[in-house]
Amino acid sequence: MLKFNLNSWQIKKEVVLLNLVKVIVKEVITIKKRLVIEIVLIILSGLCLYFVTTHNESWYRQDIGRIVSLKDGRRQMVKDEYNNRDYQTKQNLKIKLLNGKYQGKKIKLTNTYSASRAFDQKLHLGQEIFVNLHHENGQLVAAFAYSKRDTLLLMLIWIILVLLYLTMRFKGLRTVTSVTANFIIFLLFVKLDVNLNLTYFFWLFAASALIFTALSLILIMGFNRQCLVTFSSIVIGTSLGLAIGYLALWLTDNRGVHYEALDMATQSPEQLFFAATLIGLLGAVMDAATDIVVTLFELKESKPDISRRQLFLSGRQVGRAILGPLINVLFLIFFAETFAMAVLYLRTGNTFAYTFNWTMSLGVVQSLISGIGISLVIPTASLLSAYVLGGKTDVSA
Amino acid sequence: MSALSLLTLILLILMLLVGGKHGLSSFISVVLNFGILFLTVILIAGGFPPLGVSLFAGICILAITIYMGNSDETATNTAFLATIIVMLVMLVIIIPLDQIAQVQGFGNEQSEEIEAFNLLIGIKFESLLIATTVLSTLGAIAEAAIAVASGLEELIAQQNSITLSQLYKSGRTIGFQIMGMTFNTLFFGMFGGDLALFVLLYKLNATFGYYLNSKIFVGECLAVLFSALAVILVIWITIYLTGRKLNIKRS
Repeated sequence: MLKFNLNSWQIKKEVVLLNLVKVIVKEVITIKKRLVIEIVLIILSGLCLYFVTTHNESWYRQDIGRIVSLKDGRRQMVKDEYNNRDYQTKQNLKIKLLNGKYQGKKIKLTNTYSASRAFDQKLHLGQEIFVNLHHENGQLVAAFAYSKRDTLLLMLIWIILVLLYLTMRFKGLRTVTSVTANFIIFLLFVKLDVNLNLTYFFWLFAASALIFTALSLILIMGFNRQCLVTFSSIVIGTSLGLAIGYLALWLTDNRGVHYEALDMATQSPEQLFFAATLIGLLGAVMDAATDIVVTLFELKESKPDISRRQLFLSGRQVGRAILGPLINVLFLIFFAETFAMAVLYLRTGNTFAYTFNWTMSLGVVQSLISGIGISLVIPTASLLSAYVLGGKTDVSA
Repeated sequence: MSALSLLTLILLILMLLVGGKHGLSSFISVVLNFGILFLTVILIAGGFPPLGVSLFAGICILAITIYMGNSDETATNTAFLATIIVMLVMLVIIIPLDQIAQVQGFGNEQSEEIEAFNLLIGIKFESLLIATTVLSTLGAIAEAAIAVASGLEELIAQQNSITLSQLYKSGRTIGFQIMGMTFNTLFFGMFGGDLALFVLLYKLNATFGYYLNSKIFVGECLAVLFSALAVILVIWITIYLTGRKLNIKRS
């Protein structure tokens, strides 16, 4: 802090002035010093992470090899019955094993990649890959399993954390705490689901949805009346939305909806679909509900004699503005996920209608049910806030 | 009546009831986006370059989402420009990283779904992946850009003499609030859809190491991370553009 005394100012101008300059210079240096230390720490942590993730082979139980030599074979054209042309190339490579029993040993293996690369990889010199080792006629043989991707994944997470810190200091890092906490709970519930193996496991994920919502809201707004109102409106609106969606599907006998087309389903696909829809729309619904509730509570504080009706109408006004964007956010996420499969269907001689029914319709149904949920949360949140905040009497908490 | 048409009808009625005229235009914007995406898939499957088609589709989707959902002209113009810039920047970032990550196409976990197909179909799945990654983030960045731009425009309208540094500071506060919520929306939207995948991975006794390296899990994580990055960037750029516009207007 810069401090100086008026008395001494009058007595010894020069000395004080000199001191002042000294203090300022010192301040600037300390600020700069902190900044430099910060930047150095950030860069150092990045380098550390990079070094560790590129030298962590011994942490893995599966064998990892680095490609030390590589030769591409001749490109061969392949044509299928739909006149799709593709090219296949065989790669002969030698890897040096980096961990496990055979560490240091060099083995040859082959890999085939196509120009389209739907289910194969083009390998590069110096790249590290996971391999499956087995013995064949007494000889050690390796087969390519999958690429090593941990460095890239962790570095990208690091970059985002750094960006958040640089823009908003520790406040920025706090935005990811709710996501991280939810992710851990999500994995716990998946574990619970597999271990319990319930017949009606949808309700397990419905319970997880309640926990996600409560946790996120408490982290965002703290535990108070606003939080309770938001929570109740989300629960009511979302349940209503899902119930309407379920009813509509039941009334039409699921016509045109193929649950069995759900990717990677190992349990009842219908329940899995509804669980996925419920969790998928939670974020958007929370966004809408908090926006409305927070605005209405602020409105009530600035205008204590506002009527319930006016509060409700203002809530709808807020909801109106975010309704479209939120539905679009979810729609784009759900629809873009189906692209790869849809292209595969279309290129192999399937009609538009067939492709749509078997690859995209589930995504569209998911978006529609989410849209219904979001639309219902808006009046629910407005009504509940208006009711809780009361009429002309002041009930500020 | 098919289930899809009944659900669409219900959504239309609800959006009309909740949003009135505004709700109708929002509904139309969703329908238009659906049409564009469907056309994009057809064009890509027809052999058009995935990146070019998606870039064009992306600009259309951004224009529809931003201009049809809002009436405030100055805020929407800034938001539109900011989202286009971010889309281009994201392309530059995603193209090399996706090449390194090698997460295109299908993972081992999907082998059951694709075993009936001949996979050599002559479409570059690497480009297709870049296209879908960029397209899936557009909704989120459009929403964030509009929220920041209209928030700042309102601030300028209320305090005419606001300084640039004050504007940037408020922009950061608004951006911070939006960021947390948008991360939440993206996280639940993307991982919620992957519920089946997580259950399968757990059933297969996947190790922690497998999660960190497998094609499908890393692919899904990268999609979430890229959209988070896009949201951070779009908030920065929108704040900067609003400030620049204010500066030009004053001088």
